[in-house]
Amino acid sequence: MSVLEVKDLRVELMTGGSVVRAVDGVSFHVDEGETVTIIGESGSGKSTTAMAILRLLPDDLAVISGEARIGGQDVTGSRAVIDTLRGRAVALIPQDPMTALNPIRTVGRQMAEAVRVKYPKLSKAEAKKRALSLMEQVHIRNPAKQFDAYPHQLSGGMLQRVLIAMAVSADADLIVADEPTSALDVTVQAGILDLLLELQEQTGIALLLITHDLGVARLMSDRIHVMKSGTFVEGGPVTDVVDHPQHPYTQKLLGAIPELGPWHDPALDAPTLVKEASHG
Amino acid sequence: MLNYVLKRIGQTVFTAFLATATVFVLLRMAPGDPAANYAPPNPTSAQLEAIRQQFGLDQSIPVQFLTFLQHLFQGDVGTSFFFKRPALEVVMERLPYTVTLAVAAIVVTAVVAIPLGVWMARRANTAKELGANIATIAGQSMPDFWIGFVLLIVFAVNLGIFSPAGFTSASSIVLPTVTIAILQIALISRLVRREMVVNLAAPYLTVARSRGISERALTWRYAFGNSAIPVVTALGTRFAAMLNGVVIVEVVFKWPGVGELVVNALKQRDFPLIQATVLVTVLLALVVQLLVDLLYPLMDPRVRLGEASA
Amino acid sequence: MTTSTPGLSPDLSQVPGSILGRDSAVTRVLLRRSAAARRARYSTIKIWVGAVCAGLVVLPVALAQVLPLPDPIVGALSESSLPPFSAGHLFGTDPNGRDLLSRVLHGGQTSLVIGVLAIVVSGLVGIAAGAAAGYFGGWVDAIVSRLLEAQMSLPLLLMLLLVVALFGPSIPVITLVIAFAQWPEPARITRALVLVEREKPYVAAARVLGLHRVSIIARHVIPNVLQQVLVVVLLLLAQAVLLESALSFLGAGVQRPYPTWGGIISDGRELFVTGKWWLVTIPGIVIALLVVGVNLVGDGLRDRVRRAKGDQS
Repeated sequence: MSVLEVKDLRVELMTGGSVVRAVDGVSFHVDEGETVTIIGESGSGKSTTAMAILRLLPDDLAVISGEARIGGQDVTGSRAVIDTLRGRAVALIPQDPMTALNPIRTVGRQMAEAVRVKYPKLSKAEAKKRALSLMEQVHIRNPAKQFDAYPHQLSGGMLQRVLIAMAVSADADLIVADEPTSALDVTVQAGILDLLLELQEQTGIALLLITHDLGVARLMSDRIHVMKSGTFVEGGPVTDVVDHPQHPYTQKLLGAIPELGPWHDPALDAPTLVKEASHG
Repeated sequence: MLNYVLKRIGQTVFTAFLATATVFVLLRMAPGDPAANYAPPNPTSAQLEAIRQQFGLDQSIPVQFLTFLQHLFQGDVGTSFFFKRPALEVVMERLPYTVTLAVAAIVVTAVVAIPLGVWMARRANTAKELGANIATIAGQSMPDFWIGFVLLIVFAVNLGIFSPAGFTSASSIVLPTVTIAILQIALISRLVRREMVVNLAAPYLTVARSRGISERALTWRYAFGNSAIPVVTALGTRFAAMLNGVVIVEVVFKWPGVGELVVNALKQRDFPLIQATVLVTVLLALVVQLLVDLLYPLMDPRVRLGEASA
Repeated sequence: MTTSTPGLSPDLSQVPGSILGRDSAVTRVLLRRSAAARRARYSTIKIWVGAVCAGLVVLPVALAQVLPLPDPIVGALSESSLPPFSAGHLFGTDPNGRDLLSRVLHGGQTSLVIGVLAIVVSGLVGIAAGAAAGYFGGWVDAIVSRLLEAQMSLPLLLMLLLVVALFGPSIPVITLVIAFAQWPEPARITRALVLVEREKPYVAAARVLGLHRVSIIARHVIPNVLQQVLVVVLLLLAQAVLLESALSFLGAGVQRPYPTWGGIISDGRELFVTGKWWLVTIPGIVIALLVVGVNLVGDGLRDRVRRAKGDQS
């Protein structure tokens, strides 16, 4: 049984102007221990897919149809199902770490709170101990000090590690990572991605990764789906899609990666321009 | 931090001084001779002149102001023309009544407006909330003196539950408090609603929801915790404003507070009394405002005093 | 093996607007209950209900001279202190026999004129000051901000009463006094909005084109923030009417040609204990109806403008 099984998922958004079909019938699955990436440009509907699966879209905005099963349970119906799964069987790593935490409570207390969602019987001291060990697991230096810090006192990279630690604290079967490195500096991104790979190796967790960055996709994924305007245009093992793209859109996307080499000005190919240029 | 406090105290003193000076000058520029209010009927010019001398009104304005300042540093704001007692004394006698009214009103406001605002935010954009929305708009649209009279007519005159005027018993505070509170509850509950709606839609709340935090904890520990900051600030600011602003309610209910005092003093051109009232109420309001501002960093760990806020 | 579905995936960028009908799960009921639809509906309701309430007051007041009303100043003592719905006196009469409805409508003309003039003045001054402070920054901003702060801490009602005592309760004086009390609000919001607009690329483009700064502010920046500021100014009308009635209640209001609403209530002040409730209650209802109406319209408009701006971003 797949950890995440999505069949013909449709998400329609009732906005002020009109009804927008943000996700128009996508199907995919994520198995234990593997990383599946959905890659696309902004507006392709990839984040909406992730948010819809986690039922984080308000019901008076989004209408979800189709099927999405986490651990076999269908989350598209009553909210009662996803309520039992969030923080326990499935966790989210959000896009912008700077706005993802409650600004008026310390990082540590929020971590302890996350721990106790999964294990409510823990005492405060035990929860704190587990939180500290999780922070060590994500390689936060001096976790005791950061425990008492407020979110605004931490850097983006550190905050993302905290958020990853919270996701891990859920002992979940599935982690949904919505553009986890898009808001971070390039130098910090590599560390976060390494951390995710390491954690996956340790825990065998299934990872659904959303990104617009082809480099990230290539590094992290086992399989990849290319999304455009609400549907998948191509999908398969990452090496196949990247090395042999079939769909014109995928080809365009891949062609958008800058290549190193001598600079070639396409204007110089147009004969009239060449003539004009040489006549100055 | 100490620098900031000193700077604010300095600003407070300066503003109080500015208000006092402005009132001082305005009073003496107003037409009409205050001496006439305190003279026997059909006074002779000699009698009027004597009274003016007695009140020190025969000097030029700058001289009067200097004399005033001189006395001020000795703690003397002048003697009330009407009561013939130190003006400061008269004001301080009445001040507790006004403060009590303001405290009662702000407590009632907080107790009612906060749950109401949270309720409105949770049900934002529903038919039920539309009704509450319109009701709060109505609440801030009614003139406070009119509300006072209507309450008096219904409860005091017709039903005889409360006394129609003055401070005759502990229950006399009920109607004036309700009158003030209606407007404040309308304003504060709308503020709570606005802040809660923003916080309920904020990214950190969605992420917390994804962690499985219960809706109740999300509403109170997350959204309300963040909303509380501007709400407490607003409550403090309104309390400070009330110390000057309950004038009308005091007049309607004949509540023996500072507001009623100053309205009568204006009619009687009792300069020292007006001066003393302005000084005391402005200082008190500024001090409360200062305390509220100092409270801010205790509530919001992102803010440090003296630094420019975002 | 990759899978690719070139022809089957519809390119949504070619399909504008609603695509309801093509096996959509959005039913009419769901759409009506959606947040966006509700917000639109409720702001419309507010605007209409508000317009009706305000209209119920403004129209008769505007037509006061034309309607067949008894004289508001001269009353017949034989008809003194009649309750509402007495023959020929819908609102009753006061102890001098003067018809209350007539007094309310005529007095209302003064109240409304003062209110409208006051918001025009405070609006113009506030927008100009706020725009200057927001755009130029520096010492201009420092002065304006200090003025705004200072005004916040002064006991406003007292000051206003003093000024009226000084210069007399005439229409220009009361108007200016209320405008003075109100200019901070449009100033503050204009300043905040202009601060944001200033950073936008079109302003830099205008500078590069060599447009004079004042010209940029007047012809480009202000029109962009005007919608939001005007809603605030409209809401100030409600506040102005309330403030004017408070001032005249305390005796600092216009008395000629007709006493305004607050003055009428003040006249009836001592009488309610003897059971003559209408002299105090009815003018207040009229004030409340007008103010509620204006506030509702303003609130509804604010929702609309906020949504329009929100959809832009």
